[in-house]
Amino acid sequence: MFNYRTLVSTITVMAFLAVWEFAPRAGIVDATFTSQPTRVVAAGFEIIRTAGFLHDVSVSLSEFALGFTLAIAVGVPLGLVLGRFPVLRYVLDPPIMAIYATPHLALLPIIVVWLGIGMQSKIAVAFVSGVIPILVNAMAGVRGVDGSWIVAARSFSAREWDVFVKVILPASLPSVILGIRLGLSRAVLGVVVAEMYQSQAGVGNEIMRYGSEFRTDYLLFDVLLVSLFGLTATSAVRALEERLWTAGE
Amino acid sequence: MDARTVVEPAPHIQVESLTVVYEKPKAAGTLIAVSNVNLDIARGTFVTIVGPSGCGKSSLLLSIAGLVKPASGCVRVNGKPVSAPGRDRAVVFQDFALMPWRTVIDNVRFGLELQRPRGLTGGDLTERACRYVELVGLKGFEHYHPHQLSGGMRQRVGIARALAVDPEILLLDEPFGSLDAQTRDEMGSELLAIWERNKKTALFVTHGIDEAIFLADQIVVMARDPGRITKIISVDLPRPRTVETTDSKRFIEYRRQIRECL
Amino acid sequence: MKTAPALVGITSFAVILLVWESAVRFGFINPFFVSEPSAIALSLSRAARSGELWHNVTVSLREFAIGYGLSVVIGVLAGALAGRFRTVEYALDPFLWFLYSAPLIAFYPIFVLWFGLGVPTVIAMTFLLSVTQIATSTLKGIQSVNPGLLRAARSFGATDRDLLWKVVLPATVPMMTAGLRLGIGRALMGVVVGELFGATAGLGYSISYYGALLKTTDMIASLIVVVVLGVLCTQGLTAVEERFDSWRTF
Repeated sequence: MFNYRTLVSTITVMAFLAVWEFAPRAGIVDATFTSQPTRVVAAGFEIIRTAGFLHDVSVSLSEFALGFTLAIAVGVPLGLVLGRFPVLRYVLDPPIMAIYATPHLALLPIIVVWLGIGMQSKIAVAFVSGVIPILVNAMAGVRGVDGSWIVAARSFSAREWDVFVKVILPASLPSVILGIRLGLSRAVLGVVVAEMYQSQAGVGNEIMRYGSEFRTDYLLFDVLLVSLFGLTATSAVRALEERLWTAGE
Repeated sequence: MDARTVVEPAPHIQVESLTVVYEKPKAAGTLIAVSNVNLDIARGTFVTIVGPSGCGKSSLLLSIAGLVKPASGCVRVNGKPVSAPGRDRAVVFQDFALMPWRTVIDNVRFGLELQRPRGLTGGDLTERACRYVELVGLKGFEHYHPHQLSGGMRQRVGIARALAVDPEILLLDEPFGSLDAQTRDEMGSELLAIWERNKKTALFVTHGIDEAIFLADQIVVMARDPGRITKIISVDLPRPRTVETTDSKRFIEYRRQIRECL
Repeated sequence: MKTAPALVGITSFAVILLVWESAVRFGFINPFFVSEPSAIALSLSRAARSGELWHNVTVSLREFAIGYGLSVVIGVLAGALAGRFRTVEYALDPFLWFLYSAPLIAFYPIFVLWFGLGVPTVIAMTFLLSVTQIATSTLKGIQSVNPGLLRAARSFGATDRDLLWKVVLPATVPMMTAGLRLGIGRALMGVVVGELFGATAGLGYSISYYGALLKTTDMIASLIVVVVLGVLCTQGLTAVEERFDSWRTF
């Protein structure tokens, strides 16, 4: 149960936390800049009790939920269609690849110009961040479908719709879910960074505020909170993915 | 009128001056896979097509399946020209072409779902699929996924899937090509046993000479460049056939005959 | 075969530009929001002549080069050590895992506290964003070396050094270059976002600056330069990848 891997990992994490905790105490570094594990935990208890915290969390969560749902709703069907029809793909592939190669958060300022500093712009950023990997992977999934499955379906006189529903869709599902997982962490990041850039509320807004107030421990707690959220959501999708793979491969 | 047509029933499958052409990749011209082939196949016979790789035997089979469009000529089934796959034909593929996300029973059900025979409910389809899973000897494996099965078992699923739609014609495209020698022989015997029950018209492509003789009423020998039929041999070996059949003098004589044409 | 999609691609961009331009010209869209291609081209040529464009590009590229360069050195080294020594792998694992899933840009305010606003912070972001990707890919590449190949090499009397140079390294290169390519994307993100938040020059800065002034045309012009850089970098590394990768059949 306690094998070599967990032993080594635990020891290094402990060592890291210990150095982080005791270096400021020994006066090697300034805790204002680095904070300390104990302080971060303490900050957590304080933040949870502050008036704006729940509001900020709910703002960020709803921005994420709306933007990401939109990304799935647009990315999956569009990706599947683009994967199935090469002509459309040739037309749309270059702009999509250009966006894919671009650091998508560079769009922040223009999105703010278009949609203002309220929730809409964050929803848009979550959408833009999430939609590209979803679309690209859905497309790749369809293109990776084994031709022999389609021929087999055709040999039983399958109509185009049957081929799509009974072969293309299930065959590309793992790839679609992978895209959703990749898009998810990007959308979480997108919301937080958009809030950090210009906003009136949200966890990213708090992070920026705590940063300017030199409250490193508060800031780190918020960062950890977002990481934890991203990690949990990603792990949930990954678990789903693994179940699909064991069923499918 | 030709006197012969009066006494003999019309052939089940007629291939009339069939030519199949493929475009080579990178616009490097065309490849004539099948050139001006004529072939009649009588109802209820087991016909094997044997020849070296590239002789167009698979293309011929796939044109009969309606999966490959001929450049010229035509294929008739029951006198009607074939333009697409139909309920009267079912194909067994060399690479099995099973859906990895479906269990054994659901794979067998696949063709049924697509063809949806009239008046059958979802439950009926499952029941029928179940019968065919049993027929090919996979009882107990209904809920396994293809990756959990051996190659031989996978192809049993492929055969059950084709039989389940109850086609008049069974088209088998090198179905045992990727199996090891021993499994191959076993599968051949079992396929014959299943075939003997209702004697559907069967067309079986292979490059194994012994397999071709063992299974066939008639062997079509093909050659390449361009793909054409060089000889048709009627096999007069008693059925049911067993391992001993392959040791008989007649069998060895057929083997010699085919080898000469290849 | 390859020319047809390329042609369609170029046409596709041309059509987008045309529709964009005419939609603005005929008054369907307010140019304040999306500007128009001709105005953007003018803005780009003005920026090019005044030297502003060149200045911003060099600043960004320098930050990119330093941050990404550090990432490559440290990432490959860490990945290689982790691939060679089990203990190092287990020790690094939790940290790599955290860095992989954490919203790293959120550390930006802390970097500002440490390094102040400007170039060092941008470089730190660039480094932090790309190093994990490179380390993980290197590690995975080494782990993916077929043990059968190692056994085969040993059977011919290969020394540890031979194994490294003749088996492990060549076998690792494809996955490593893939990591380097993904790292480029993330490093660019680090540069641009770092500059968005606080800088005095650079492409991200210029996007943010013109955005704040609501000068859409100049903002989109800088954005397009970022897009072009992103595409060029990625394409460049894809080309390198294909060269090293030609023996791969899948």
